[in-house]
Amino acid sequence: MSDASLKAPSLLPRLPRLARPAVRADTPEASRARTGVLFTLPAIVLMLVILIVPILMAGVLSFTDYSLGRAGFDWVGVQNYEHLLSRSAYRSMFVATLTYVFVVVPASVGLGLGAALLISSLRVGGDFYKTIYFLPVMAALLAMAIVWEFALHPTLGIVNSTLAAGCDIGWLRGLLTGAWLGGDPAASWYGQGCADGFPLWLGDRDYAIWTLCFIGIWQAFGFNMVLYLAGLTGIPRELYHAAEMDGAKSGWERFRLVTWPKLGPTTVFVVTITSIRSFQVFDQVEALTSGGPMKSTYVMMYAIYEKAIQQNLIGIGAAITMVFLGFVLLMTLIQRHLVERRVHYS
Amino acid sequence: MTTYRFSTGETIKHVVLILGALVVLLPFYLMVSTSLKAPQEIETNRGGFLGQQEMMVDGDCVRQGNAEEDCRQRPVVYNYTQAFEKAPLLRYLLNGVIVTVSIFIIQVVVALPCAYALAKLRFRGRSLVFGAVIVCLLIPVHAIALPLYIGLAKAGLTNSYAALIIPWTISAFGIFLMRQFFMTVPDDLIDAARMDGMSEFAIVWRVMLPAAVPALLAFAIFSVVAHWNDYFWPRIVITSSQELFTPPLGLREFKGEMADHAYGPMMATATIIVTPLIVAFLLAQRRFIEGITLSGMK
Repeated sequence: MSDASLKAPSLLPRLPRLARPAVRADTPEASRARTGVLFTLPAIVLMLVILIVPILMAGVLSFTDYSLGRAGFDWVGVQNYEHLLSRSAYRSMFVATLTYVFVVVPASVGLGLGAALLISSLRVGGDFYKTIYFLPVMAALLAMAIVWEFALHPTLGIVNSTLAAGCDIGWLRGLLTGAWLGGDPAASWYGQGCADGFPLWLGDRDYAIWTLCFIGIWQAFGFNMVLYLAGLTGIPRELYHAAEMDGAKSGWERFRLVTWPKLGPTTVFVVTITSIRSFQVFDQVEALTSGGPMKSTYVMMYAIYEKAIQQNLIGIGAAITMVFLGFVLLMTLIQRHLVERRVHYS
Repeated sequence: MTTYRFSTGETIKHVVLILGALVVLLPFYLMVSTSLKAPQEIETNRGGFLGQQEMMVDGDCVRQGNAEEDCRQRPVVYNYTQAFEKAPLLRYLLNGVIVTVSIFIIQVVVALPCAYALAKLRFRGRSLVFGAVIVCLLIPVHAIALPLYIGLAKAGLTNSYAALIIPWTISAFGIFLMRQFFMTVPDDLIDAARMDGMSEFAIVWRVMLPAAVPALLAFAIFSVVAHWNDYFWPRIVITSSQELFTPPLGLREFKGEMADHAYGPMMATATIIVTPLIVAFLLAQRRFIEGITLSGMK
């Protein structure tokens, strides 16, 4: 690309007043500076148009009653946000979303950490488990959610038919109903299932959100495991020897004194990214429950989809979007705060 | 050579990990197994993993007036042919390839020069641009989906390839990643290229790009996996045109229209959609894990 073609027209009008414009414009530094601007220009334009302007637009739209296909719109002030706080459907939305986040995040982080600790301490076969546990991360979540729905089908599903088959095996039934421990078999969860049939899972308002959480955990924990494995390799062996010298004999002591503190940065990151992803849960909900039964799985992304895209209520969809953004930014700020504090201390 | 002795602790660990592996693998097993079996075997949960593979009669085929002998098929053949015949699955797969490849190429074309400029060129506003990239890293796509959808709808672009691709053309993460990588490329290399009379444009594509292949490969995996599997965005912008469906949308459509006994073909569809990335992952595990966990570098 020649220099001439790189001259940004907007820069020219300022130059002629100076005594040495021509010389300056032709130095390699100046030409590279123009190249720099030119090279970043497409990215700047796209960042503005695709990322920054839409965020501002969502903010503006959340104060309107805009809908597609209508000529104008009215400002409605904070009415959309008031609805989010006052209407029971949105209360269900917050309950479902927060339930999902507060179940999936600890469980998938804990399982990821547990799997990583077990795998890294193995003498043989670690890579084998690592590969298997990572498979759900690679597979399209929508497809696997549909398979889980089939596995959890009340009559055809392998889960309920396996559970029901266990009822006919005396010792297993005794074990699972707690009869062996002296409990009342009929009062236990398993005993009731044997007598009255096992849950409908996705079709039961008491089980649906937990079933979706399970699918979410199943999908996410392998990702966390891999990050923890990477974190574990960064811990110097000598630290464990030193801890042992100081009297940390048990595995738990070594974990508490060395592993857990050293994994701090990994944990902060893993918790943040899992939380953000959990707030975005959509695929399972749309394909399996459509937010039901009784709005028990009406998570935020599904609410945005249903209200704004399907029902063309853009204003309320934009308000939910802003609340979602608020949650995500809060997560990020907490992460930044924790990371910076660590930096100051070390 | 190390000899492995029996140890209780080690055994317990393996037992726990194997139990976990069974739960992780259950849906994969079920998906593939169901895609091989006949409808009655699926309904009664019999036939083991492979099914008996007894000849079955395709009901639709008979109803179209064909002789029964001509409609006899093995269940596995039936399921997989149905997957392609009931819906234009091949078209969906092609759409998936078109969309993921276009997204990746555009991301690179936009990100690479920008990353190079941020890493190696001095210009006014550079730190401002880099700051903007950092801010944009924080913006989740789900937060811009609605306004973007409105913009695309206003422009009459919903139900088009453009709608599937446009939101992903800018990857702040890609810029950030490549900028970090370019920072490690020695300035001498670039100066030598300049001495040879190369333009800055040529340096980006003929010097920096080849040097960045490992980082780009990781980013490619990150990008392709995310967009092949994405369901949220295609669901929003593709509302009517079936010929634009991506693989997940196609599977969702299949499920929505499915008659009760079509589990075999549906699971065949799911298997076909999931298999390419799983196979690629198994072949190049290290690279894939590196690529998917790239976001851990932030």
